Amino acid sequence: MTIRSISITRRLVISVLLLELLTAFALIVAVTVHEHHIELKAFDATVTGTAETLMGAVQDAEDQGDNVMLDLRGVQLSNNALYRVEDERGQVLGSFGDSAMLSRALLNPPGFFEAKIGHVGYRFFVLHGVRTIDPGQANGGVSHSISIVYGIPVRRVWHEVIESIRFFALATALLLSITTILMVLLVRRHLAPVHELAHEADRISSRNWQFDAPASAKETVELRPLAKALESALMRVQLSFEQQKRFTSDAAHELKTDVAIVKSSLQLLSMRKRTVDEYSEGLALSLDDFTRLESTVEKLLTLARLEQPADRADGAPSTCSLRKAVEEAVHQSKPFAELKMIEVIVEVRDTAAISLDGRDALLLCSNILVNALQHSHEREKVCVKLVRRDADVVLTVQDWGEGISEEDRPYLFDPFYRGDISRSRKSGSTGLGLSICKAICTRGGGSIEISNHPAGGALVTVILPASDSTSISKELSA
Amino acid sequence: MRVLLVEDEQRLAENIVAALREVGLAVDHAADGEAGSHLAEQGVYDAIVLDLMLPGKSGKNVLRDLRQRTIHSPVLILTAQEGKESIVELLNAGADDYLGKPFDLGELLARVKALIRRGKGASASVLRMSDVELDTVHQTVLRGGEAIDLSPTEYRILEYLIHRPRAIVSKQELLEHLYDFAWEHHSNVIEAHVSNLRRKLNVPGTEPLIETLRHRGYRLTGGGPA
Repeated sequence: MTIRSISITRRLVISVLLLELLTAFALIVAVTVHEHHIELKAFDATVTGTAETLMGAVQDAEDQGDNVMLDLRGVQLSNNALYRVEDERGQVLGSFGDSAMLSRALLNPPGFFEAKIGHVGYRFFVLHGVRTIDPGQANGGVSHSISIVYGIPVRRVWHEVIESIRFFALATALLLSITTILMVLLVRRHLAPVHELAHEADRISSRNWQFDAPASAKETVELRPLAKALESALMRVQLSFEQQKRFTSDAAHELKTDVAIVKSSLQLLSMRKRTVDEYSEGLALSLDDFTRLESTVEKLLTLARLEQPADRADGAPSTCSLRKAVEEAVHQSKPFAELKMIEVIVEVRDTAAISLDGRDALLLCSNILVNALQHSHEREKVCVKLVRRDADVVLTVQDWGEGISEEDRPYLFDPFYRGDISRSRKSGSTGLGLSICKAICTRGGGSIEISNHPAGGALVTVILPASDSTSISKELSA
Repeated sequence: MRVLLVEDEQRLAENIVAALREVGLAVDHAADGEAGSHLAEQGVYDAIVLDLMLPGKSGKNVLRDLRQRTIHSPVLILTAQEGKESIVELLNAGADDYLGKPFDLGELLARVKALIRRGKGASASVLRMSDVELDTVHQTVLRGGEAIDLSPTEYRILEYLIHRPRAIVSKQELLEHLYDFAWEHHSNVIEAHVSNLRRKLNVPGTEPLIETLRHRGYRLTGGGPA
């Protein structure tokens, strides 16, 4: 498969050339009209002049009848010129060309007319004048009315016009070729920043994310947005790539540690022969260790699943009631709360559905709740509230523990981050709980944040957009 | 011999401590970098097993500070981190050995023992002094080819002394290297064990192998290593 290739250089050059060509064409048309006009005037002047010369060439014939004659000596007639000179009696003084046609032509009013002789277009001029013979005599001389028709091929006009068109066309062609060469060179030169940018971008690899747009690209107004977009896009990609890398390495560390525990527990047990009690105690411990490994794997898989785009193969997006999830989570964590003698206050006022899978919503609620219980001291309370705020469902879980430290705050949702590592390790936390919560909230189109409330302790706020009302009723009836 | 384990993972630490104690080592455990660093700097450990990812102070920093204070205890690094570069870096920073998680417990024990041996200047696992032969792997003692049945503490005292032939070892030093914090220890306990050991090793008609120097300690004598 070939990709259609579009060259900006070629397009620019072709556009400019087309424009130039169009201009040249318009110019030639204008010049033609103008030239034709000028040439026609000159032509007419020539024809009129020659006709008048012919009139001047009508001389006294010096005979008895005071007749006139045409004396063509010294008269310059154009090639292919046709003419006819007659006096008032119809006597032909001089003629050249088709006499029948020309004598008819003499009947025309004075002025120009055009006619075709054979296949050649002619322009004729008809002149009527009076020649007086011997004006010095007593009777005032004899006057003769002279009619003259004179014509030459119009071709000559067009010949001149075509000559000038040819000149213009040649000049235009020359100009176009020079412009083309110059344009190609200049456009290439001016597009150099694009190539430099491409070259710089080409150096990016998964190992080397360093991208600094070349100065030439930054200075070019048209390329500045592209260079900036490239830089910021790469920064984002690099960030997420590094996050991914850190996650993988952290996950490997976590799994290896858990595997190391299981392995060492079993190896310790098999170091020497032991009593039945020792074996059963060792096996129980190993099983606990194994359960922890299993839970880590399960959490990792959950996180991986949540970070995949939602699977909408079944068509309708799944929805559930956050209220149900909250109530179920409170129910599930009851033994733990009772163990620490913590009072869990539940205020649930909303029944809206959210676009989350029921299991995910439960996981979200129980993670937050268990977290709050873990960070509470004995005989304290945890407050769970669910309210509607405009189009959103807001879940808040408040505890009166030691709260969160400002330095931990930016990293709370990072996978494997533990505020107090040694303590959390003992409590069996993997540091994945909050990451899972965040992933669930993101999937539900909402957000989660943790802050300290003035009374001292952490306040977790989950905001999730409510699904439309139809799905609520469906959910409630279900 | 006394070993320090610096490991934040509770269950793993429990298992390693139990295994090390099973092979007759005294073990102290620190759950974070700060405590580990503090304990290690007392300079009483014959080997240190150090995790890299620690709360408080990283294993790398613990190691660096240790070597800066010229503490020569052999250090075995325990880590789940990948990458050859960090291994090279750690060995160059003064670590003596390296083991990646998940490890084989038997291998860990063998490596710790080898490190202790090396730290005392011995290369073989069987140590000889005069006609006494001590097998550190099977923890058996022979004198003139005859097996001698020793209690674990007696064996450990002999093992420590045989690593330092003809040197005077104070009671305090023996206490420091043979018992961890989990043990009740009194100096008269040591005296009782040494006296039992001397009795068991004694062959009629020869000089006693273990010499007691008043207010100074004990010395293992003999014809020199065979």
